[in-house]
Amino acid sequence: MAFDLIVNGVRHRIDADPQTPLLWLVRDHIGLTGTKFSCGIGQCGACTLHVDGRPIRSCSVPASVAAGKQILTIEGLSPDGSHPVQVAWKALDAPQCGYCQSGMIMSAVALLREHPNPSDADIDAGVTNACRCSTYHRVRKAIHLAADLMRRA
Amino acid sequence: MTGDQPNGSGIDRREFLSLVAAAQGAFVLGFWVPSRASAQTPATTPEKTLPGAVWAQDPATPEINAWIVVAPDDTVTIRIAQTELGQGVWTSNAMMVCEELQCDWSKVRPQYASANRDAREKAPEWTLKVPGGGATDPKSGGEPTFGNRDRTGVAGIPDSLYRRMRTNAASSVKDGRYYLQLAGAEARERLLLAAASLWNVPVAELTAKDSIITHAPSGRTTSYGRIAGRAAQTPHPRPEAITIKSPDQWTLMGTEQKNLDVPDKVTGKTLYAIDVRLPGMKWAAVKTCPVYGGDVKSFDFEPVRRMPGVRSAVRFPIPDPALTRGRVFSGGVAVVADSWYQAKTAIDRMPIEWTVPPEHAAFNSENMRAALVAALDRPGMVRVSQGNVDAAFAGAAKVIEAVYSTPFLPRARMEPGNATVLVGSDRVDIWIGDQSPQETRFSAAKITGIPEANVHLHLCHLGGGFGRNGNGPQAEHAIMIANAHRGTPIHMLWTREEDFIGTTYRAMGVARLKAALDADGWPIALDVRTAMQEGGFGPESSFHVTSRYHVPNYRYSNHTTKFHVPVGTRRGIGQAAHEFYRESFIDELARAAGQDPYLYRRELLARTQLPYKNDMIKALDMAAEMSSWGTPLPPGTARAIGLEERGAEGNGMATISAMVHTVSVSQQGKVRLERVDVAHETGFGLVNPLSVKKQIEGQIAWFYNDAMHQASTIKDGRIVENNFHTFPLSRIDEDPPEINIRFFPTQHWLVGMGHDRATSVQSAIGDAIFQITGKRLRDLPYRKHDLRWG
Repeated sequence: MAFDLIVNGVRHRIDADPQTPLLWLVRDHIGLTGTKFSCGIGQCGACTLHVDGRPIRSCSVPASVAAGKQILTIEGLSPDGSHPVQVAWKALDAPQCGYCQSGMIMSAVALLREHPNPSDADIDAGVTNACRCSTYHRVRKAIHLAADLMRRA
Repeated sequence: MTGDQPNGSGIDRREFLSLVAAAQGAFVLGFWVPSRASAQTPATTPEKTLPGAVWAQDPATPEINAWIVVAPDDTVTIRIAQTELGQGVWTSNAMMVCEELQCDWSKVRPQYASANRDAREKAPEWTLKVPGGGATDPKSGGEPTFGNRDRTGVAGIPDSLYRRMRTNAASSVKDGRYYLQLAGAEARERLLLAAASLWNVPVAELTAKDSIITHAPSGRTTSYGRIAGRAAQTPHPRPEAITIKSPDQWTLMGTEQKNLDVPDKVTGKTLYAIDVRLPGMKWAAVKTCPVYGGDVKSFDFEPVRRMPGVRSAVRFPIPDPALTRGRVFSGGVAVVADSWYQAKTAIDRMPIEWTVPPEHAAFNSENMRAALVAALDRPGMVRVSQGNVDAAFAGAAKVIEAVYSTPFLPRARMEPGNATVLVGSDRVDIWIGDQSPQETRFSAAKITGIPEANVHLHLCHLGGGFGRNGNGPQAEHAIMIANAHRGTPIHMLWTREEDFIGTTYRAMGVARLKAALDADGWPIALDVRTAMQEGGFGPESSFHVTSRYHVPNYRYSNHTTKFHVPVGTRRGIGQAAHEFYRESFIDELARAAGQDPYLYRRELLARTQLPYKNDMIKALDMAAEMSSWGTPLPPGTARAIGLEERGAEGNGMATISAMVHTVSVSQQGKVRLERVDVAHETGFGLVNPLSVKKQIEGQIAWFYNDAMHQASTIKDGRIVENNFHTFPLSRIDEDPPEINIRFFPTQHWLVGMGHDRATSVQSAIGDAIFQITGKRLRDLPYRKHDLRWG
């Protein structure tokens, strides 16, 4: 059964089982590999992307749920790494291995949309992604810096 | 079963119960560029596919030496023989080359060194002799350590081109610094010689800085890019006379440099092995016997054969233990399909029966722990025996005894095990994130029968590493599956659940520590027994528990058992467990003596004759001062101190730090690491202090996980916790709000930063829980225990 996925503003005609988790169609059919697979059960958040502006764990959501909706992945955040969250991440040298960071950044972007000036408690509640290198210390600072950058923009 | 068939394939082809011949003629590979990412895009031509072709022969981008290529636009490509897995080696290795090369740092582009070329070329003679006086000589090259020549590459290959392509033991800087600096210096000297010969002036009149060569007397300048072609043809007359800079001469090394791989990691451009896509590539999902040492009894491909995208099913044996350093994993089955999710869906529905060794299925955490405890009472291997321990106990004013235990622990890196392999008729290509490419190269040759000189590894950044052999048999699985599908690139990807089977584990351990105290509470004798399974690397490595603290009569023995779990490195070896035992027990002794645990440690270090005792005391003093040790805290909050050291028992390289952890425990039993004050030595110099800080920050949370949450249990021979719902990873809400790091200089070279840098989190949380709740807990993780109080 064919259906449409609109990813980063581009409409893709997909011929695949619509029960396939969205992650795998984004990675393998559309070819955007910035969104990562890690646990496959919606626990770790490495696969976080946005559907109609809301962060979801795409490894555990059937693609049919996102059909026709606006899907945003790390590749669509900015053409050149210039989104304030990306700028803040670079300023603090936040990533280590980097594998979870696409999902972490997508969670942070969603958090800042809800809470433009987040408290530490807002960050604790809103960014529940797992990072095995434990970059959390810099991630927290980077979220506060990104909020600053966005306010000043 | 495995490995050594006459054809060298490592697989008895008759074992393949079902195999669709997917190979459709030779797949010619000539397009591979390691990454879309700019930092990874080679400035040189990609590796040619012709057998025997060398890495870079493009006259426009000449290679100066095996580490350095200078392009006409002054872009300098630096070959990195270690793997970037978040520790910053992509940047720190390049810094060490750039420091000597005197090139423009903003134009440096790292690139993975060729493991294929490493199989075919020898290391330049001038890299092999390390000068100077060893660990305590700032002008020395340090002490690169290589095992004997071993063609498997397990310990590096001392005379191969890149010598040590492994990434382990926190040793990339320690082992690489000398010859990476030298490679930069050799190239710089030849660039200068080339300019001197072009201008017909004495080379001594030339200077080099930021990729510009200047002849001051005539005012002439040229750039590295312009002179590189000539330099590539200019040998150095006496490379053995080239010297490297000592730390007092560093200008780039020792400064905080942002990591060169980070910009691509915030845009999703970084290419991990899981992201590799090749024309004609098929995907493989696997299931292996969940009991180690087990194998496939039967499987039935028929029910899933016609599912969408499904191509074939192939059985593979237990990877030859000779390729996995003696560790016995499991046999398994792969389903190959057009997409991975199709392969995974099919294998989930495919009936598989296992043959399970009954003695392995009889293991569970309880009987394994009991076996370790029982081993403590059997004669062990006595590693240290000083004074008369038994006599001292007879005269003790007080005897303190404690038994500690630590669980099996996996690495649980975020990127599940995977590799893409294309086996042709006389060539193997492997795309992989790999901490030990020389070993993987050997495995590929052994399994396929194709010589190592024809094995090409295309290295990718790793989505977490945490232990060289912790990667388990990801490469061997992929090679065996691809070898059964010659001509077709196969991308094998483990599920998270398979990754928990495929990894190696930090061995479960127990320790019994017994101290005799004098009337003032100072230890006069110590009897330490530790038990781990064979191969667990704790006992074998002879970590002298508590020998850092002075005691006149001391006995330390190791006791081993045999279990079936493949154990190996996990961000270090057994040391983290041993430091937990030692630091916890010192806290208990201090409490028994009614003394301050900081001052008690300080005094016991001061009484030793250890060469680095003053550095350890300095670390304790600085951490205590940073934390305002001894000042009042709110109720339910406590401070605890601990020492981390590696190598401080001798006078070789060492790494020393101390931390004070401020911990709160709510009356409901919720533990919070509130603040960490870190005093860390620099040795003669840190290469990239920014990466060091990131390592310390990350390892604080790593050991917080070890202390509070993580444990792998065994039931019926299987690992129980096989995904992140049962194997917890702490999130940002548990990260300490305040981490303060201060460095202090010391007069020796460091071992490294990659592991065991925050082990004190474990004992400190335990001592804080004791101070707040009165409960002394000795069995990790603490979450197993009722921590409520009041």
